[in-house]
Amino acid sequence: MAVITISRGSYSKGKEVAERVAERLGYECISRDVLLEASDHFHIPEVKLIRAIHDAPSILDRFKHGKQIFIAYIRSALMSRVANDNIVYHGLAGHVLLTGVPNVLKVRIIADMKDRIKAEMEREGISEEDARILLQKDDEERRKWTRSLYGVDPWDSSLYDLVIHISKLRVSDAVDFVCQAATKDQFKTTEPYRRKIEDLAVACQVKAALVDPFFDVGVTSEYGNVLIYTKTGDRQVGKLKARARAIKREVEGINHLEVHAGVQFPENAI
Amino acid sequence: MPIIIISSDSYKTGRDIAERIAKTTGYDYVDREILGPAAAKANIEEEKLVKSLEETSSFLGLSSKMKNRCLAYVQEATLGQLLEDNVVCHGLGAHLYVLGVSHALKVRVLTEPEELARQLSQDGGGAPEKSRKTIKRLEAQQRKWSLEAFDLDETDPSNYDMVISLSQIDPDEAVRTIADMSGYRKFQPMTYSIKCLKDKELAGRVRVALMERFPDVRVQANGSTIVVETKAIKREKQKRTEAIKGLAVGIVGVDYVEVHVANDIFRQAAESSR
Repeated sequence: MAVITISRGSYSKGKEVAERVAERLGYECISRDVLLEASDHFHIPEVKLIRAIHDAPSILDRFKHGKQIFIAYIRSALMSRVANDNIVYHGLAGHVLLTGVPNVLKVRIIADMKDRIKAEMEREGISEEDARILLQKDDEERRKWTRSLYGVDPWDSSLYDLVIHISKLRVSDAVDFVCQAATKDQFKTTEPYRRKIEDLAVACQVKAALVDPFFDVGVTSEYGNVLIYTKTGDRQVGKLKARARAIKREVEGINHLEVHAGVQFPENAI
Repeated sequence: MPIIIISSDSYKTGRDIAERIAKTTGYDYVDREILGPAAAKANIEEEKLVKSLEETSSFLGLSSKMKNRCLAYVQEATLGQLLEDNVVCHGLGAHLYVLGVSHALKVRVLTEPEELARQLSQDGGGAPEKSRKTIKRLEAQQRKWSLEAFDLDETDPSNYDMVISLSQIDPDEAVRTIADMSGYRKFQPMTYSIKCLKDKELAGRVRVALMERFPDVRVQANGSTIVVETKAIKREKQKRTEAIKGLAVGIVGVDYVEVHVANDIFRQAAESSR
C-alpha cells in the first residue's frame, strides 16, 4: 500500500480530496492529529502551536532552538503514523517532513482564486475584497512559514508528483487521479521499504528525544542499529551518551545504539 | 475533440511525451516543424523563430522588436494549426497564449532531475554535477522568458490543468493519464470555446498583417469585428486609422475594423521640443 501527502491552500478543496481518497482506498486520513501529538511533546497548548504554525513561525524563536525542536517533534509524530502504512496526510508540509520515505505520493491541489474567494465569501459572510485580502494574506503566511522552517517554497511544483488544478477538473476527477497513481507499483510498500520506514521512524523518535537540549545531532538507523552523530567533541558528549543510554530503554525498536562524536553527519541523517 | 498542450522544463522530455500522447489518442502532432513555413512567410530565418521561443531579448541576441515580430508569426502559425482540432501541441509556447479556451487541456511535464542533468550534460552542459546548477539557471531563464514574452510565469502551476513530475511517475503512466483526461466532458469543444479560439486565430493573422508597418499594434477579435489599439501623435491619428483599416479590411474573416489610437505622449513631447 502507499503513503499519500496532499498539500493545499485554504479553500482549495484539498481536504475534501484527501478525505475522499482515504475513504476510497480505505486509508487513514490524518492532519491535526500529528499536531496534537507534537503539542504534547512541546508542552504548549495546541491552539498556540496552530498560531505559531499558521501565522508566525517567529513565535517558535522564543523557545531556544524552537524551530529545530518543533520540526523534530512533528516529524517524529508523523513518521510514527506513517510506519503503520496506508496513510493520507493533508497537514503541514508532509512532502518535506517525509523526506527519505521511498513510497510517498506527493500531491498538491490548487484552485482558481475567484473560486476560492467565492467559497470564503459564502462561508464567512464577508465582501469579495475582504475575502481576497484574507486569502492573499493566508497564502503569503503559509509560504513564509514553509520557507522559514524548511527552506522550500510550497508553490514550487517540482516538490510534488502531481499538481492538480481544481477548476476545469472536479474533486472527483482529482480523487480518481490520486487513487490511480497510488496503486502503481512504485508507490507500494515493499518489504525493503517497510524496513526503511521503520528505521526512519526509530531515527526520528531518537532525534525527538534528544533534540532538547541536544539540538545539533544527526541520527541514522539501519535494522534498528542507531548511530547518533555530533560534531562537538567536548564535555557535552558525556551527557549525550548518558541520555542516549536512557533513550535505548525508552524507544522501541532499537537493537544497538552508538554515539559518534566530532564527525560530520552522513547525508541521510535525521 | 480537445486540444492538448504540453509544456515541459525540457524540450526533449516534452516532445517525447507529446508524441506518445498523439500516438495514443490518434491526434495530429504539432511542434516546431511548422516554423519552417512560418519563417518563409515572414521572411525571417527559422533559427530566429526558435530563438524567440527560448531566449529573452538582449543586445547580442534578438532585439525586443524582432522577438515580438517572431513571436507574432509563431502564434499565427500555431493558432492556425489548433483550429483543426484533435491536436497535441508542444514546443510553441501555446500554453501562454491559448487562454480562456476551455477545450484546451494544458499539462506541464517535469523531467526527473537526474535525467534533466544527463540531458544537459549530453547537450554540452558539462558534468552532471555542473548541470544541476545549470538546471536552476535554466528554470530562472524560462521564467524570465515567459514573463517578458507573455507576462505569465510558465513555471507557475496555476497556468495548467495538471503538472506531472516524472521523478516517480513513469512516462507511460503520464501519457495514459493525459490521454484519459482529454476525454473528460470539460475538455470537449463547445460553441463558445471554439469561437474564443477562432477569435484568437483571426486576431493573430491581423496582427501579423499590421505589424510590419505598425509593430506596436494590439489586436482583439470578436467574430468578424476587429479592434486595433495603437499609439500615434495627434496629427497622425487620422492617417494611421485609415492605413490600419485599409490593411485589415482585406483579410479573410474581417468585416468591420475599429481602431483606437492613443496619444503617443513620448513622441508628442519629442516633436514639440524640436
